[in-house]
Amino acid sequence: MKTREVELVVGPREPHYVGDGFRVHNFIPSAYRLDMQRMNPVIMMDYNSKFNFPPSVRPKGVGVHPHRGFETVTIAYKGRIEHHDSSGGGGIIGEGDVQWMTAAGGVLHKEFHESEWSKKGGEFQMVQLWINLPAKDKMSKPKYQSIANDQINRFKLADDKGEIEIIAGEYQGIKGSATTFTPLHLFNAKLKEGGLATFSFPADYNTALLVIEGNVVVNAENKVPTDNFVLMANDGETFTVSADEDSIVLILSGEPIDEPIAAHGPFVMNTRAEIAQAFEDFNLGKFGFLED
Amino acid sequence: MNNFRLTSFLTSNIDIDKNNLESLVSQCKTKFVKKGEYLLKEGEKCKHSFFVEHGLLRQYALDDKGKEHILQFAPENWIVTDRESVYFDQPSAYYIQALENTNTILFEESLILHLSKQDPLFLEFNNKLLHNHIRQLQRRITLLISATAEERYLDFVRLYPDLLLRVPQWQIASYLGITAESLCRVRKEIATKS
Repeated sequence: MKTREVELVVGPREPHYVGDGFRVHNFIPSAYRLDMQRMNPVIMMDYNSKFNFPPSVRPKGVGVHPHRGFETVTIAYKGRIEHHDSSGGGGIIGEGDVQWMTAAGGVLHKEFHESEWSKKGGEFQMVQLWINLPAKDKMSKPKYQSIANDQINRFKLADDKGEIEIIAGEYQGIKGSATTFTPLHLFNAKLKEGGLATFSFPADYNTALLVIEGNVVVNAENKVPTDNFVLMANDGETFTVSADEDSIVLILSGEPIDEPIAAHGPFVMNTRAEIAQAFEDFNLGKFGFLED
Repeated sequence: MNNFRLTSFLTSNIDIDKNNLESLVSQCKTKFVKKGEYLLKEGEKCKHSFFVEHGLLRQYALDDKGKEHILQFAPENWIVTDRESVYFDQPSAYYIQALENTNTILFEESLILHLSKQDPLFLEFNNKLLHNHIRQLQRRITLLISATAEERYLDFVRLYPDLLLRVPQWQIASYLGITAESLCRVRKEIATKS
C-alpha cells in the first residue's frame, strides 16, 4: 500500500447565506481546484461552521426548492433542522443525525431550523453534501434514509482513543448505515487527544476530509486546523489522521462516476437538454407541490 | 473582450465586423449593482437602456397605496429601460432594481441614435429589437385582459424558464396581475393535474 499524500489544504471561504438559516462556506464546487469533477461523486459541499443564531420565533431556513439528479446528505453537528418535502415526507435532523435524501427524479423540499430550537437559538453547525447519481439512476424514485445518531455503526479505536462513525461505506469490516448507488465512504472520525486512525481507499477514489472540531495532523506532517478542508491526492491508498486535541473529522472517499456533468442551480444531469427538461418539469408542477 | 454576452448577443443578431463591434462595445459603460440597489427611481430621468450581462433586474411602478406592480423582469441578455423617460424626456414613473448582484451594460440614447444614422445594419437590428419588444407587450396586454391566471402563469414560465427559482412568488404574482394566493392555487392545480 502506497501513502496517499495531501494535495491541497483549503481554508473556509467567505460565508454566504442559503435562505436565512444556513451560513455556509462553500468548498465544492467553488474553491480553487475543487470543481464538480475533482471530488466526483461528491459534487457540492456547503459547511455551516459553528455559528450562534439568536432566538427567532419564525424559524430561519430555506423555502421550497427543487432537486433532481443527485442525493443530498445533511449531517447535523450542532442544532436541529426540520424538513418537509413534496412526497409528504418530513422529519427532524438532530445533533449527530444524518439525513440522506435521494432526490433522483425530483422532489420539492424545504429546510428550517426546528421550531423549538429556533425559539431558543444557539450554536449551529452542519454539513450538506450533494452526491451525484449515475445516469441510469438519475430519474429513479426519490427516497429517504433518516439515520439517527444511535443507529450509526461504529468502530472503536484501541485504548479508548475515539471512534469512527461509519455513515456509509465500510471501515475495518464494519458496514455503513446508509446505502449508496455507487461506492462511497463517509465517516465521522471522532478522535480523542492523541488518537490516530488509518484510512485506506483505492487510489482512484476521490478523497477529502473536513476538520469539524479540533486540530489534526495528516500523514504525521500536515497540520490542519478547524474548519479546513483537505483534498487528498490520487497517488496512493493509505493515510493517517491524528488528533492534537479532541477532534471530529469528516472523511469522504468515492469512486468517480465517469460521465459528463451538466449542472444548473438545483439540477445536476448529464446534458444541457436534460437541464432544460428539468426546468420545464419543475415549472409544470411535475415535481409535485409543497406549501411555502 | 470581457463583455461576452453582449458581444455574442450582437454578433448573433447583426452582421457586424470585428472593428465596428469593438468600437461599439468600447463606447458603452458597464455598471455593477448589488442586490437591492436601484438603477432608476420614480421621478428621476432615465438616461440609459440597461443590458443585463449577468444577474437579474426588475422594473416596477408603485400605485397610490404603495403597492408594487412589476412590469418586467430582465435576466441575462434582456434589455430594460423606461422609454418614456429616455426618448420623450419625461421624469420616470418606474423603479429599476437589482434582484441579484447584477452586471449591466449601459446604452446611451445618443449612441443608439448615432449608430442608427451611421449604420443601416444597426438601424435594422434596432428596429427588429423594437418590433420584438412591441410584440411581447401586445401579447402581455392580451393575456392581462383576457387570459386565465393559469394561462398567464404558463406563458410566464415559457418566457422566463428559470425565474421561478430566482424570484419570490409574490413578485411573480405581481407580474401576472394576480394575488400570491391565486398563484399558489394555480401551481397546486397544475401539479395535481400532472
